[in-house]
Amino acid sequence: MTLVQTDEPAPPMRSDAIVRVRHVHKYFRRGSEQIDVLHDLSLDVPAGEFLALMGPSGSGKTTLLNLVAGLDTPSEGEVWVGDQLVSAMSESQLARWRTRHIGFIFQFYHLLPVLSAYENVELPLLLLPLSAAQRRRQVTTALELVGLSHRMRHRPGQLSGGQQQRVGIARAIVTDPTLIVADEPTGDLDARSAEEILDLLGELRRVLHKTIILVTHDPRAASRADRILHLEKGQLVEAGQSFGH
Amino acid sequence: MKFLMLIVRNVIRNPMRSILSVLVTIVLVFVVIVVWSVLSLLDYLTTEKSQNFRGMVTERWSIPSRLPFSYADPLSRGAARRPGDVVPTDSMTWQFYVSTFDKEKITRESLLFCVAVEPAKILTMMDGLDLLEGNDLDQLSKYVKALEEKRQGVILGRNHAVNLLQKTIFAPEEIIGKRINVTGLATFKGINLEFEVVGLFPPGRYDTLAAINREYYNNAYDAYQRTTGRPHPLAGANLNLVWLKVPDTNSFTRLAEQIENAPDFANPAVKCETAASGYSSFLGGFKDLIWGMRWLLAPACLFTILLVIANAISISVRERRQEMAVMKVLGFRPWQILALVLGESLLLGAGAGMLSAGGTYLVINVLMGGLKFPIAFFDRFLVPEAALWWGPSVGGFAALLGSLLPAWSARNVKAADVFAKIT
Repeated sequence: MTLVQTDEPAPPMRSDAIVRVRHVHKYFRRGSEQIDVLHDLSLDVPAGEFLALMGPSGSGKTTLLNLVAGLDTPSEGEVWVGDQLVSAMSESQLARWRTRHIGFIFQFYHLLPVLSAYENVELPLLLLPLSAAQRRRQVTTALELVGLSHRMRHRPGQLSGGQQQRVGIARAIVTDPTLIVADEPTGDLDARSAEEILDLLGELRRVLHKTIILVTHDPRAASRADRILHLEKGQLVEAGQSFGH
Repeated sequence: MKFLMLIVRNVIRNPMRSILSVLVTIVLVFVVIVVWSVLSLLDYLTTEKSQNFRGMVTERWSIPSRLPFSYADPLSRGAARRPGDVVPTDSMTWQFYVSTFDKEKITRESLLFCVAVEPAKILTMMDGLDLLEGNDLDQLSKYVKALEEKRQGVILGRNHAVNLLQKTIFAPEEIIGKRINVTGLATFKGINLEFEVVGLFPPGRYDTLAAINREYYNNAYDAYQRTTGRPHPLAGANLNLVWLKVPDTNSFTRLAEQIENAPDFANPAVKCETAASGYSSFLGGFKDLIWGMRWLLAPACLFTILLVIANAISISVRERRQEMAVMKVLGFRPWQILALVLGESLLLGAGAGMLSAGGTYLVINVLMGGLKFPIAFFDRFLVPEAALWWGPSVGGFAALLGSLLPAWSARNVKAADVFAKIT
């Protein structure tokens, strides 16, 4: 992992980096006012790393996460994931790319209430050219991984917050994505459920060697990561402690 | 398949809203179908046909048309006098006769409106009956044969049978074989006849019309003169119109010229017009009503369906912006979100339209025996079979149109913006 101060030239690419953010600026316009959210930010995330992004509200961590996940495009600069220049893709290309390469875990789970746990996890697979049997196999595996194979017919309303988040995680990993991004995944959970979810994320990184980027306000959650980065006013300001899980 | 399942689940996720939208759509599609059923028949009658062209000869300067019966034969031959003149391929004379089968209590229900005809022409010249097939044709042929054999016979419309039997429309055939006495009304006063019911017209266009044998009817005028010692006032003017059939429009133009210029028909003078033109003239008095139905009522209903569905889908999309955003995050493309929302409204609109069309067809045609809507000489209207696809089409089209904006807004949901507002 490399932390780059904004006034310095961009660092050389790490050969094992799966995410490469280069001189990214992101600003919004509100009337005549320009609001800078990210300012000349560069960052590498090696494959298989569990990275935590911390920072105060409005520091730009969710915006950075959205750029890496292809939910938004930078005003300037480049975002690479694997060998794909994500920042240059059209909306449709991004959608197709996200299906295969990104698993997104939300703070509020965002499961579709009309679908069962099984159907929620199956949803992204509907966009891939898979047979029903292949889909069934992948969904079952994902639900087993999160320990919810016995609840697959339940609707979100019939599950606890922790269980819903597990379904959310199963949905994020079911396509076997390159990168998992999690935006405050424990923010809506009690301490015990939060611990379980963090254990699960750790397992994904350890067992499945997934690259995970976690945005959090919670130092306990961040402490599970390999490294912690702090953002302030749209810039990376310091490298955090690596716990080396 | 899974996508369809998602559409269905979304439609039924708020059952009350969906049911209300469906109910409103059913009612409005019902009104549209009824209006279009009436208009489609009137359009059919007033549209010129390119083949088997039908013309109508009536008195030129007087309404109602009253021609001497001596005109019947030459007019039926198209007034052809010279070699090369156009001769109609078929013809039919109509002599109206209005009577009541309850002279003590003359009501709309006790009226019997008859046309005296040559029985065989019923099968070849009466609009709609010339298109019968299968059992319907066999049945009517049997009745027509009976009318030829029994000069006192009458083929009744279904409404007459119901009124005479004083019961529901389910068994009007019970009237066949019964004898009825009728009393002539208005200008037909003094022409009182006795009939034996030999058959019934198929349900629909001819529910309020009866056909009698013209020989029996004309003999009644002779009998009147024998009994009273003077001719009946209508005796020399009891032919009302003559229908003529020619192969095409060109033949009709020549035939009309031939008839209108014939010296034999100078007093009273005659005019020859197309059936469509004749119907149009007849419907002239109802043109404002018909215009209102066509251009105000039906469009207003369609517009209301559009608003109802647009409202329901807009609310649904607004409530589900987060879900749309999640689907986009998962990889659903903008057009797939658009298709999802359009699919939901199409399912609502087309489903409601199909229910409405099926229900309307069943209730009006089967249970009610036609929609009572007296206009010109029509009493009831049947819902055409085509309405079975009008319903889903109207409902679906209005729903699609109404959901275009909400669907476009759903398509353009920006996941990053939606989640930025939540956190």
